[in-house]
Amino acid sequence: MREFNCIGCPRGCLLHVEEVNGEFVVTGNTCIRGHDFAISEMTCPKRTICSSVKTVFADVPVLPVRVSADIPKDRIFDVMAEINKVMLTERIGRGDVIIPDVLGLGADVISTSDVLVREEIKITI
Amino acid sequence: MKYDVIVIGGGPAGLAAAVSAHDNGAKVLIVEREERLGGMLKQCIHDGFGLTTFGEKLAGPEYVERFMDMVRERSIECSLQTFVTRIDKREDGFDVVTVSAKGIEHREAKSLVLATGCRERTAKQVFIHGTRPAGVFTAGTAQHYVNRLGVMPTQKCVILGSGDIGLIMARRLTLEGAEVLGVYEINPTPSGLTRNIHQCLIDYDIPLHLSHTVTRVFGRDRLEAVEVCRVDENMKPMPETAERIDCDALIVSVGLIPENELAESIGVILDKHTKGPYADGQLMTNVPGVFTCGNALHVNDLVDFVSASGAEAGRNAALFAGNSRKTVDMSIGKEFQYMVPQQLDLNSDNSKITFWFRSARVQKKSVLRLKVNGEEVWKKNYLSLRPPEMQEIKLDMTSFGIDESSAVTWEIEEVQA
Amino acid sequence: MNIKRINRELHKRFGDRVNASFEDNCILLRGELDEWSEVVEAGQMAAIPKGKIHVVNDILCSGAEAQEMHISSLRDDALEGETPDVLIIGGGISGCSIAREMARYKLDILLLEKEADLALGASGRNDGEVHPGVDLSKGSLKHKYVRRGNAMYDEICRDLSVPFKRVGQYACFKDKRLKPIIWCYAQYRRIHDGISDTRIASSEEIKKTAPRLNKDFAFAISNPNSGSVSPYNLTIAYADNAVENGARISLNTAVLGMETENGKIISVETNRGTIRPKIVINAAGVWSDKIAEMAGDRFFTIHPRRGTNSILDKKCGDTFATIASVVGVKTAAGKSHTKGGGILHTAHDNLLIGPDAVETYERENTATTAESIERVFSKQKITMPTLSEREIITYFTGVRAPTYEEDFIIEWGRKTENIFHVAGIQSPGLTTAPAVAVDVSAIVAEKLGAEKNGDFNPVRKAIPVLNEMSDEERAKLIEENPDYGIIICRCEEISKGEILDALRSPVCVPTLDGIKKRVRPGMGRCQGGFCSPLVTKIIAQELGIPVTEVRKSSLDAPIVFESRKGEKA
Repeated sequence: MREFNCIGCPRGCLLHVEEVNGEFVVTGNTCIRGHDFAISEMTCPKRTICSSVKTVFADVPVLPVRVSADIPKDRIFDVMAEINKVMLTERIGRGDVIIPDVLGLGADVISTSDVLVREEIKITI
Repeated sequence: MKYDVIVIGGGPAGLAAAVSAHDNGAKVLIVEREERLGGMLKQCIHDGFGLTTFGEKLAGPEYVERFMDMVRERSIECSLQTFVTRIDKREDGFDVVTVSAKGIEHREAKSLVLATGCRERTAKQVFIHGTRPAGVFTAGTAQHYVNRLGVMPTQKCVILGSGDIGLIMARRLTLEGAEVLGVYEINPTPSGLTRNIHQCLIDYDIPLHLSHTVTRVFGRDRLEAVEVCRVDENMKPMPETAERIDCDALIVSVGLIPENELAESIGVILDKHTKGPYADGQLMTNVPGVFTCGNALHVNDLVDFVSASGAEAGRNAALFAGNSRKTVDMSIGKEFQYMVPQQLDLNSDNSKITFWFRSARVQKKSVLRLKVNGEEVWKKNYLSLRPPEMQEIKLDMTSFGIDESSAVTWEIEEVQA
Repeated sequence: MNIKRINRELHKRFGDRVNASFEDNCILLRGELDEWSEVVEAGQMAAIPKGKIHVVNDILCSGAEAQEMHISSLRDDALEGETPDVLIIGGGISGCSIAREMARYKLDILLLEKEADLALGASGRNDGEVHPGVDLSKGSLKHKYVRRGNAMYDEICRDLSVPFKRVGQYACFKDKRLKPIIWCYAQYRRIHDGISDTRIASSEEIKKTAPRLNKDFAFAISNPNSGSVSPYNLTIAYADNAVENGARISLNTAVLGMETENGKIISVETNRGTIRPKIVINAAGVWSDKIAEMAGDRFFTIHPRRGTNSILDKKCGDTFATIASVVGVKTAAGKSHTKGGGILHTAHDNLLIGPDAVETYERENTATTAESIERVFSKQKITMPTLSEREIITYFTGVRAPTYEEDFIIEWGRKTENIFHVAGIQSPGLTTAPAVAVDVSAIVAEKLGAEKNGDFNPVRKAIPVLNEMSDEERAKLIEENPDYGIIICRCEEISKGEILDALRSPVCVPTLDGIKKRVRPGMGRCQGGFCSPLVTKIIAQELGIPVTEVRKSSLDAPIVFESRKGEKA
């Protein structure tokens, strides 16, 4: 049996998972997301990661990014290495893909901000 | 220039307030002191925002830019890199005096929404002693350096405080290649959300030391080490447990304080529990026409609540007509850390009031009760209550027979399992 | 002077572990003791107040190893072969005020400061009180200069654009039976010492003008001429004006040794080259006895004394407009070597609480301790019962540089002819500095036969303080330079224009701390949480360097490091 907290929402339910006849039985969850998280945690734990990529633009030296879908937890630092290789030379917008299907994991690395394309005002500090 | 509503602060609370004030027919101006809208969410690049508002898990910039899009779609006027230096009260509203590259400007409004957010408690406010080297950062400052300037405030650090920003930064710095030696928390229980303990610390094997604090920093130029101590039950460091840890930075995440210096300057009274204004069910402060929301009202755990209170304050600011008020205060038991709003205006529509509260300590199965003149009129059961997790309740307050002389009290009772 | 009597007392207290001898016109103490407090006590026992004979304390103490002087990591030959007329060692209030006053003469003046900025010793780490001089007795140098210095403050702070306020001071008493004695004392001071404004304030007056003070105070000595000044701003302003008038200042420059010949300094070795000055002025603060020793002119000893001050939020500044301290109350902290500090409305409208006084063998240890804050607050809560540690926004420790005689040393070298000592400067050294500088520069200029500098301009070109201006003045400046309208520090309302001005000032120190001291971003309640990344960025842009090369204070204090991103591209 394993116990861990759900990360689905701020409630952070304490989930209990037991293997009964080759199947996982989840208790402690208060919604279906908790159940699904528990199963995923037992079979192939996945996480979202958020980071940033370097740009060539002096006003915005880094652009925030995330993966478009959860990736296996044990590949986090592999994906980080890919993210760190990027030097962005184009002014791209929110949701635009920076690395498609990163390491073949079925998730894209996408921009999470319009900061490069939407100039609020031109005074820089 | 004259406006119906001036919103001070262009973060998530202010943006939601502006959109909602506009949608309720007001001519709105947002005054933002930074060069861009978005407030602190510009640097909160982690995900988990927007589950309530948009039904999605978004990164901070994605979340707040959706509100920025709404502001743009509505052509709501924004004055960026503009700092409110003072507010003068006028007979029919307020004169907001601002400083910007354009000079000194006066803008008048019938009502104001103060969406000024909060600031971080500093290392000095928790009495860390020793030298004054480079390398002592609040978590938010460290976050600014990493996420906006793309540079590293540390290569090997200790984090004091298990508040959410501290936990988020522990993960963030680890992802970026820094070594986080441990998170130290003076309280016997974590200050941040459980899910953040799990996904920011446990996932990355970062140790959490409860009932510990940092007492001292070492290093003449750059920080070289910190001293950590276990604390006793009165939270006093025990010198015999002192341990020196070599590192190059101390990152402190020891709490947030609502920013209300501007509010105080126009006579807004603050609640000592929240450090935010006393507000009625419409989120109006004691100064008629001045509304409060977001982290200026109280420190929220989720941005979705910040936006919700912003929208509420914006709507009511737009509808503000200067009617006389009939207020009744609500009191809370000592089981509460705080509750907002703190009072009701019986002359307003109280059919849909949202309350937010935190318990003072971790409680197992509990009952929240509302009493009017000692009689229980409403209750709600909770499986558990933890100070880091804010609770929201929506209530029709019109059916409880509350009048001006009523004693309205909120209580939490822990129920034996 | 009776060396036998001194030895008798020393032997009675310490046995034969300590011995005094009269050598080279000094009282030389030798021996070994277990505790630093004993070393200091022996020095104090041997000292003769107001005399010309000083204690040189060579008593060893095993637990208190002498601290090495901090020397910047900078190594170059920028000053190699320089031959200034006057070489001033030390960029504190003494050295900087002397540099500026010396600039009134046609002289080549070079000031060395071993740290990365001016006023990093006691000059920048004190309470900023401009003293009335009421508690000093006649015959001391402190007394000689304190009234004159105090009287010069209005003009000097106007010329140099330094915040200064005559906030007045109350020394408060609880015991009303003392009133006749204190009244006599005040009268004596008025008549005898010419401190004409000192008077007795009634409890009603105290309650009215300073309602936050303890309601139990029966009366107080009132000194309306007391003031608050920003001590580091005054030091920096003196230095700026000195440079505007032709003096040169070299930071990160430590004196490593001196070569003397026939009672004369021939050369001064630094980490930036060897200098051959005509005259050396020793204004080296806690290191002034070591500088004297390097010059072959050792005749006094500095025994460092720490003091810690706390700064409270500006909101508290609004509630108390003067300076106050309690007199005649024994606290749990026990005996103290000073008047024990007080509560002070600063020149920047904060409240300052402190300082305490703790003897130390560490000349440069400015680390703060919880005990100091507790000690100061426990005492000052008697002065102001509503005082709260929760209002603290920052605290700092300075190390004073007293001699065992507890008076200043302002004189030519005794064995070395071309050195002038301005040593043993402690409270009220900030108050006396303007007057001391005038006298010292006149004496040194006379020796050099220097002419007056007809081009001397006493008025410093100051950085405008926009948040103190009227809307009209402020709007006008912003029109001329829009950067004055861009607010970077929200707590203190400091604009980008003011920060750029600081980066272009005569003594430019392009670090976070350097800018913070000059124009105050980061001095407020968030302590730079919001503005420090922005200021870092402005410094980097102005200097054309990456943000990773911006420093907090010294060259060895980087703020941030390179990230690993984008390296492969």
